[in-house]
Amino acid sequence: MNTRIALTLVVLLVLAIPLLTQDGYFLQLFNIAILNAIVVLGLNFSTGWTGQINFGQAAFYGLGAYTTAIALKAGLPFIATPPLAAIIVIAASLALGVPTLRLRTYYLAMTTIGFGEIIRLVIVHWEPVTGGTSGLRAIPGISLFGFALEGQVQHFYLLAAGLGVAVLVAARIRQSSLGRAMIATRNSEIAAEQSGVDTVRTKLAAFMIGAVYAGLAGCLYASSIRFISPDSFSGTQAILLMTMLIIGGMGSIPGCLIGAVALTLLPEALRFLGQWYLVLYGLGVIAVIIGAPGGLASLAQLRFRQVSRR
Amino acid sequence: MSEPAMSEANVITARGVTKRFGGLVALDGVDLDVPRGIVQAIIGPNGSGKTTLLNALSGAAPADLGSIRIEGQEIVRLKPHRIARLGLARTFQTIRLFGDLSVLENVMVAAACNKPSSLFGIIAARPSQQHSETEIEQRAREALEITGLAARAEHRATQLPYAQQRLLEIARALASKPKVLLLDEPAAGMNMTESMTLLATIAKLKTLGITILLVEHNVRLVMGISDRIAVLDFGRKIAEGAPAEVQRNPLVIEAYLGRRHRHA
Repeated sequence: MNTRIALTLVVLLVLAIPLLTQDGYFLQLFNIAILNAIVVLGLNFSTGWTGQINFGQAAFYGLGAYTTAIALKAGLPFIATPPLAAIIVIAASLALGVPTLRLRTYYLAMTTIGFGEIIRLVIVHWEPVTGGTSGLRAIPGISLFGFALEGQVQHFYLLAAGLGVAVLVAARIRQSSLGRAMIATRNSEIAAEQSGVDTVRTKLAAFMIGAVYAGLAGCLYASSIRFISPDSFSGTQAILLMTMLIIGGMGSIPGCLIGAVALTLLPEALRFLGQWYLVLYGLGVIAVIIGAPGGLASLAQLRFRQVSRR
Repeated sequence: MSEPAMSEANVITARGVTKRFGGLVALDGVDLDVPRGIVQAIIGPNGSGKTTLLNALSGAAPADLGSIRIEGQEIVRLKPHRIARLGLARTFQTIRLFGDLSVLENVMVAAACNKPSSLFGIIAARPSQQHSETEIEQRAREALEITGLAARAEHRATQLPYAQQRLLEIARALASKPKVLLLDEPAAGMNMTESMTLLATIAKLKTLGITILLVEHNVRLVMGISDRIAVLDFGRKIAEGAPAEVQRNPLVIEAYLGRRHRHA
């Protein structure tokens, strides 16, 4: 019951953001935070729940974004781009996952780092199509059923709705036998297998679902921000996404949201610190890892439990 | 050489099961028949190959040679989850629970064993999916009831005391509705009272018609509960039969107590 009230409050608070600020810069920042949250929720399937270290999430994000941008520029209607982006990332995730997820330990980490670099190199060097390092500009915007979205506020609500669906799907998967199989696979691969869980298939499903999250977020990124460049999907971004997951709380849906929002907004909020920001950032990450190994979400839960016990 | 009439009566039929680790022959052509509905124990001194045999049967560490059939179906080349789905469940000597899941969810993982679900069904929350989820939960709660853990359903698995964690392993194995249940030293680390609870649970499982294969180091514990006992020593089966027979077998006494009897 308490969680339901908390959930309602959070949803209302999020929906009220455009009422509190009309500043285009802030709204754009929130929009990017929402997109990052979707990507981190996707990363949570493979890394948070299934325990497979995945550095390919930024590349899937980029793959979805570039697929969409190129398709829109070629004149395809917006409605066609989410399925297109999804198909492309599903194909890529299967090509990566099928050979590597049979092997245990860190093969996926290495493969996905390599994959990320390949995607980046292709984007940078295939200039006629991808625009190279300067990226793609003036991407046609989102238009649904003859209604074209305008302004940051409308985009904010569309992206918030997208995040809502992403959270709902993640929560349903967590409460299903697939979600339990993912966590079982992370906790003990042998015990999961002997309980009838096909761990290879489970790891592949988690990796693929996570890639679809990133691909669809990329699709929304390209069509709502309307400018993309390779920097947004680099290896640095992959590490940032992983940091969001760790800081927010591995395996926790609220944790993914907290981590993504915090690490998207903080750099801007602390911009006045100049170069000292990185020092503070590093210290902050270390403090969270030492003080709350379960991430910021675990802190919130602890507080919540103490309150409800009284 | 096949005996169709025999394999019908036996849940497990193993022939010539051999497993080598480098130069060490851990299992050397072991034959084993486990008739339906009995409690079969496998005993033997440390390093005699008990757990290796169990790992070969469950597919955790497949046999190099030989044939293992569950109700006539060959399983030697199958992955562990396929073997589990064919009706062979097991527990572990060192506890392997899913620490991030609740007690109930631990059991639900295995209760979903032969209940396929589609991703689309899950995402769309289709009625068939919700129905199967209810069935899985019900099956899991039954298993918790049998093992006396029903009151602990919402706890985290790792919050349970040690002896209950062992019972939870049994509950989890039970929830997949196995034809045969492999217990790997279930009494390890338990005190007298806890061992008694365990024995009562095993007796209850037997009345439910589940065939049990029990690997135990503690011979005394095994004698009372088992219908048949097979004795392993240095990877070979040196004796098999009713508890009283096995207890008198000079080879068994020698394996456990050394060769003092030779001098007599």
